[in-house]
Amino acid sequence: MNVLEKPMIEYLFSLYGTTVRYATASPLLAAPVNELLRHFRRNSSEESAPLTLCLHAVQERADIPWTKSSSARQLSSGTGAAVGDRPETGLPYDVIQDGGRLIADFHNAGVLVIDGVQGRADGYLIKPESMHANLIEYLFHTALIQLLRRRGLYSIHAAALEKYGRGVLIPGMSGRGKTTSFISLLRSGYRYLSDDHPLIRDAGTHVEALPFPNKINVTEATRAFFPELRNAPDHILHHGSSKRSFHAEDLYPTSVGNCCQPAAMLFPHVVDAPHSHLELLPKSRALEVLLPQALLVYDPEVARQEFQVLARLVQQVDCYRLHFGRDILDLPKLITPLLEKGG
Amino acid sequence: MSDPLLAPPPPIALEPAVDRTMLDRIILRPSSDVQGTSMGGEMVLLDLSTGRYYTLNRLGSVIWEHCTGHSTMSDIHAVLCDRFEVVPEQALNDLVALVNQLVQEGLLQQERR
Repeated sequence: MNVLEKPMIEYLFSLYGTTVRYATASPLLAAPVNELLRHFRRNSSEESAPLTLCLHAVQERADIPWTKSSSARQLSSGTGAAVGDRPETGLPYDVIQDGGRLIADFHNAGVLVIDGVQGRADGYLIKPESMHANLIEYLFHTALIQLLRRRGLYSIHAAALEKYGRGVLIPGMSGRGKTTSFISLLRSGYRYLSDDHPLIRDAGTHVEALPFPNKINVTEATRAFFPELRNAPDHILHHGSSKRSFHAEDLYPTSVGNCCQPAAMLFPHVVDAPHSHLELLPKSRALEVLLPQALLVYDPEVARQEFQVLARLVQQVDCYRLHFGRDILDLPKLITPLLEKGG
Repeated sequence: MSDPLLAPPPPIALEPAVDRTMLDRIILRPSSDVQGTSMGGEMVLLDLSTGRYYTLNRLGSVIWEHCTGHSTMSDIHAVLCDRFEVVPEQALNDLVALVNQLVQEGLLQQERR
């Protein structure tokens, strides 16, 4: 084993009552995680059983201290299509259940070893000095959301905003208008929870959405819709590997929203029409479309609880298919009344 | 486009499993790994052993609601004929076809009494 043996530096975060302890010996692996969790940083923690995540820099695959056991079971695999709005994450992968651990094997990029029962994840990243920061952030986030599931905090692939104390969720893969919808609402005064992966949890009387603020990644096509993005200077709209990114507060008079009860869920798709319109979506169809944006069955009991939370979420919101036309800047006129009517 | 830690793709086609000559003796119950919820009269099912999920239409949902380990397939057929405007032969074909699929998928278990 040739894991680089340098002193580990610890960072503490608190996510809605769950302490996350992150340790790494590599400054290269520290910076993207501190950026991802910058809103959750803490100096100390009283919690006796924090979640622990460690990222380790290794020089080659053989340095990773994990070998597949004979009882390992492959859960899924992929050929390398990009994930969500982050093209840097386009990697081939295998997801393997090995004993009580979940293994996310990203081949030449590295391996995540996630032990949900122990509340611990170790990521072994091969030559991280040649990785884009977004990929490091993505690998950490992938491990983190698996551990958070066991604490009742569930991540869904969606944009999420808040207005009047009520939330709107926009689930879906990139290319469907999710980020464009998000920015259109953001610039009209909505507060943001997340552009890509808010958390949800069972609050007893209802399911609530929780902020997980992140950088907003935009394509050139999305950028072209919004004058302030077209004209934004490079120190605000940063160059990524193929997209640009910015922090919402740097460009808009907005802030991170409050934990809130979602009132509407929109499933967008782009149509070649002058005007956008909403079509009520049956709840069963909404849940069916939402499930692939959220759920992985890895621990059956955790999945059972998550399924029930997702079902309750769909029951409590109005669900719409958003036929997203060319009137992009007018989207708030269509969506805001949905939040006002029950307020 | 896929995310490694999101749910796997939907299932593929199936083969018959139910003996049509024994419908008055076959009792059905959900597998213990199946979690279901009713959404606007339609059942959404999650198989915790595979991660696959399914949506049943209204007729399928009524069938599922009666798969509680008490009713025979003949009983369920009678319910369908009573609840839906459908000729008995068609209701029977739909019932057998769906149960075949659900048994093959591991969502339902059949017992004989």
